[in-house]
Amino acid sequence: MSNENNNNQTDNDQPCCDQAGCNQSGSRQKLLGIIPLDWRFDLASIPLIRWILKQRWFPLCFIFMNMFLFMLILMSGVIGGFSSGNYSFGIMMVWILWWVVLMMILVPVFSRTWCMVCPLPSFGEWLQRIKIFGVGKKVGGLNLKWPKKLSNMWIMNILFLMTTYFSGFFTVRPLATFFMLGSLIVLGIVFMMIFEKRTFCLYVCPVSGFQGLYSNLGMSEIRVKDPKICEKHKKKTCVTGNKNGYGCPWMLEPHSFKKNTYCGMCLECFKSCPFDNMAFNLRPPATDLLVDEKRGLDEAWKCFIMLAIAVMFYVAMMGPWGTIKNWVRGETFIGWFKFISLHTFFALVVIPGIFGIFAWLSKVVSGEKDIRLKKVFVNLSYSLVPMGLAAWIAFSFGFLLPNGSYLLHIFSDPFARGWDLFGTAGIPWTPFGTVWLVPLQFFTLLGGYLVSVDYGYKLCLQTFADTATAKRGFIPLLVLLTLVTIAFGWLYGG
Amino acid sequence: MEANLPMKIIKSTLSILLLLFCTIGPIYASLRYEASLTKDFTADIVARTPEKGNFSPRHIKVQVGQKVKLRVRNVDTVMHGFAIPALGIDAGELKAGKNKILEFTPTKPGIYDFYCTTWCSEFHLQMRGILEVE
Repeated sequence: MSNENNNNQTDNDQPCCDQAGCNQSGSRQKLLGIIPLDWRFDLASIPLIRWILKQRWFPLCFIFMNMFLFMLILMSGVIGGFSSGNYSFGIMMVWILWWVVLMMILVPVFSRTWCMVCPLPSFGEWLQRIKIFGVGKKVGGLNLKWPKKLSNMWIMNILFLMTTYFSGFFTVRPLATFFMLGSLIVLGIVFMMIFEKRTFCLYVCPVSGFQGLYSNLGMSEIRVKDPKICEKHKKKTCVTGNKNGYGCPWMLEPHSFKKNTYCGMCLECFKSCPFDNMAFNLRPPATDLLVDEKRGLDEAWKCFIMLAIAVMFYVAMMGPWGTIKNWVRGETFIGWFKFISLHTFFALVVIPGIFGIFAWLSKVVSGEKDIRLKKVFVNLSYSLVPMGLAAWIAFSFGFLLPNGSYLLHIFSDPFARGWDLFGTAGIPWTPFGTVWLVPLQFFTLLGGYLVSVDYGYKLCLQTFADTATAKRGFIPLLVLLTLVTIAFGWLYGG
Repeated sequence: MEANLPMKIIKSTLSILLLLFCTIGPIYASLRYEASLTKDFTADIVARTPEKGNFSPRHIKVQVGQKVKLRVRNVDTVMHGFAIPALGIDAGELKAGKNKILEFTPTKPGIYDFYCTTWCSEFHLQMRGILEVE
């Protein structure tokens, strides 16, 4: 935990810094007192990488590759072994491989790169652009503006939560995965035909919301290299587009990016910037958590929902409670209804309620009377992001190690029809490294805890008026983060 | 503008071909491959518990003296088995998601029952079908 942030801030509405990496006194903040938060390495400073990022076929080639795989996934939902998840290409690819790669590598390291190569909205986007490859000015569809009141994470929060209502079906019934992915493709096309640009990805896609929030922790970012160049550039082609690239499809202003939440990393700004002023930076984890921009209750609730789902998934899928498993699997409608009621209440009320109590304690203990509880609640909720992602990574180990070997089978026999494309169909189920499962989960949770605590303290410094009140206000948050870590440790390893 | 036209046409054509390759391609390739593997199958028998559909098909006609090649696919979540006791055919246990190929040549005309040989549900005894040798 860094204690270098000795600012003497007096105005509660002014955070100690807008950009991660510095504080008001100008000293460098460090992650865990070791890594300077303003450290950056621009991958695009390597000429070959910059050249690749500027090509129109990139990331299109990866979108096509994923489209190919998704067609196989969709097919397996219909013609594959439709009752047994472990021999279903769709279920194994989506809920074992994709999920693990997403949560363990893509989000923590490469932020929202999945959105860069996601094939689901591509059909809609190409219809909207009336083009697949080049850049054009014609626009297909109605191109309507999304309502401002809905320009937040609430719809994504609710949709993601609702998606988990069917988790007992997605992981064992290939047809359920088919319907879910098919619905996302259809919904994407419909939305893109009605609303402008990537409205669907920004405000509707259930996968987008948590990626947006957790990508604040990601160790990469797209930012401008030199803001002065953008200041002088009147045309702002990263917003308006030019012959080389579209104006930001995510309706952002790449010239003034500060955090990853809504950047889909589509790389159009690399192509449309005439000054090569965009950077693809590697950075220390979670620096965006300190950026006080567009913070709100929607993102706070996303933190809570993600924690709640991590708990529920473990309880339902790996816990010893048979009754709950039957509820989640929908053995009876009443049981399933009990599950979704409890799950919703836990995610939307219980966890936020507990956090609210600790946020209130933080305000009280800090001794600062002028600060609004909402500000404490929202700001400190971001400290749950590292903890939440760590919980998800730890949970993912829990199915990767025991069940990962099924992947070798389904690569060779994707539709459970007795194929043996790569000679691996006969490899039996072989749990791998399960002796290390609990230690791995423990160290992952510990890592998440340390980063959460570090950022929790930094967020307190940012939220409260001075270091003394921040230190006092931090105590309840520290207690909460410790209790949450112990609870996950007990759940996963107890 | 005119000079770019051929390049635009090439790019558009390539894009559409790529799109077809990545969407229709995997479907076409998979179905063709499956067809090539199953072209000499006499029947492709799907096994489910009776309450979920039973064996399908349940009635198979074959010619005496001709080689029979059956694939039995367990698409269920429980273990099944497959046997034609009168012909001495037994596929053994079929775990969920697994399948087996059986080859034999019936030498006598007749009607032969085939059964599930693993207790798969309370309706297990109804899980059966007929192989008719003409």
